[in-house]
Amino acid sequence: MSIIVDPVQESSFEKPDRSQLWYRRLLANQQFLLLLVTIAIFVFFAFNRHVFASAGEFGNNVTNFCTLVLLGVGETYVIATGGIDLSVGSTVSLSGVVGAIAMEHLAMHSELLVLSVGTVVCIGIGILVGVVNSALIHYARLVPFVATLVTWGAGAGMCLVLTGGAPIGQNSGAIALTVPKIWIFSYPALIIIAITFVAGLFLHLSRFGRFTFAVGSNAFAARAVGINVKRQVTSVYVLSGALAGITGMFVYMRLGSGAPTAGTGQELIAIAAVVIGGARLTGGSARLSGTVIAAWMITIVSSGLIFMNVSPNYNQVAVALLIATAATAQALRKSARQSS
Amino acid sequence: MSNTPEPSNLPTSTSGPSEHDGSGEGSASVLLSLRGISKNFGAVQAIQNVNLDVVDGQVTALIGDNGAGKSVLIKTISGIWAPSSGHIYWKGEEIHVHTPRNATDLGIATVYQDLALCDNLDIVQNMYLGREETKFSMLDEIKMELATNQLLKDLSVSTVKSVRQLVASLSGGQRQAIAVARAVMRDSQLVILDEPTAALGVSQTAQVLQLIRTLSSRGITVLVISHNLNDVFTVADRIAVMHLGTLCSSGPASNYDTASAVELITTGHSSRVPPSLLTSS
Repeated sequence: MSIIVDPVQESSFEKPDRSQLWYRRLLANQQFLLLLVTIAIFVFFAFNRHVFASAGEFGNNVTNFCTLVLLGVGETYVIATGGIDLSVGSTVSLSGVVGAIAMEHLAMHSELLVLSVGTVVCIGIGILVGVVNSALIHYARLVPFVATLVTWGAGAGMCLVLTGGAPIGQNSGAIALTVPKIWIFSYPALIIIAITFVAGLFLHLSRFGRFTFAVGSNAFAARAVGINVKRQVTSVYVLSGALAGITGMFVYMRLGSGAPTAGTGQELIAIAAVVIGGARLTGGSARLSGTVIAAWMITIVSSGLIFMNVSPNYNQVAVALLIATAATAQALRKSARQSS
Repeated sequence: MSNTPEPSNLPTSTSGPSEHDGSGEGSASVLLSLRGISKNFGAVQAIQNVNLDVVDGQVTALIGDNGAGKSVLIKTISGIWAPSSGHIYWKGEEIHVHTPRNATDLGIATVYQDLALCDNLDIVQNMYLGREETKFSMLDEIKMELATNQLLKDLSVSTVKSVRQLVASLSGGQRQAIAVARAVMRDSQLVILDEPTAALGVSQTAQVLQLIRTLSSRGITVLVISHNLNDVFTVADRIAVMHLGTLCSSGPASNYDTASAVELITTGHSSRVPPSLLTSS
């Protein structure tokens, strides 16, 4: 439809603003800066402890990274809608424990069948937690923080009830699968990296991802154009739960057992990765690449501190400093934009 | 709903004007008819027994004081809220608009007072929100960007630097232009504008009013809500006045002047308009 309102002015928007040089735009990109900082941190640790740059240590870091990145991916989706998911840590534990119980019952069968069933059970538990989160938000009218706090507590409690506090199972075959087979990657790690890549494409290049950002930006506007906001939010919490379930299975394979405290505290590290990666906790803005880089940064900082003989207790302090730095940088960039 | 006419008495796309018209515009066809529309939120009766005909291809201005129920009425038409009672007819056929998607699928586009734009998305993303073009299941950003550029060029919206600007960075006039353009690009037959000139400067207001006239000249029916009577009398072919949740008068704009409109807005009655244009609720 061609509608001429005032055919007097030549449009200027067709000519994109090229006044900013490419390197200035690059330096204004938070994800690029994050990548530079991550490389600098890596170089610092590698310079001080040469073994930090070895393939073996890289492999360890990839494995550690895989226990965090999918939680960060799910949390990115949730935070993009303006919500938060505190339940992912306990979902990792609960799915691992329930999966371990299921696998214990199938111990006489082939390893492939056992692990396949275990994976399905873990993902199923994650989806169930996501559905409960969504139901609490939409039907009990709880804010996401409280809703997921409820499931976080319930999940952690259920783990202790089911296990009595002790890990379940002893599956050395599963542990063997998490040993790197292709250079620094184990097969499960490759699957997790592939899922992360697909999730990134899905978030930034699909209608589902666009709807996710729209809901977080302005839920009324999203509804006004016909987006089913409830369904979108439900899908995102279910996705986050499912990814936590996959992480639960990966942690089970790594430990060879379902540990009731396997995911303790992981939710906060996942949220930290999302925040450091440049997402706004108010919703509507997030970059999965930022979350992935931040997850890698947190992984190598934790690992590097151990190599530097720093007490592991300082890990949380280091992560807290990273969050503070990222949040401050974000606030400064925002105020600079507003004043310009 | 004792005042609700039977569907058989409704004006259709080929019928004459409504019972409250009194204009003698026998050839006018009705695009949208509301019959006995009421909406309550708990104990609060927001609108009550509203009968309104929106004539095809014309600009109907819906005016009223704050709290008169104008925005509730258009949100009911737009599928944001379901009416508590009453019937909605589209081209003579009864319709049930349960969701905004139902309304947009029919050809009803609404530009809300707060514009319903997503600040964290750019212009292209807002323009196509909910109607994204895809290629191999992925968003076809190039196609959407080109189409957005073309549409804004057609609309002579020349003040935005780039269609990849975030909407948060746009001025009020630019945001209004984007919201109207989004309504237009969906091949809408009825565009509802809720206070389109509120908080706009003089030149931006003139542009929006010109845009409304252009929409009408292209055969698009416009229902515009406004507090500004100057704007109303500049663009409206017909006027409908709401008072305390009821429609107190409707008819051709030529039957009203500023004084009678003010009287209707503030009291719900006026001796300055023909009695046939007054609605008893």
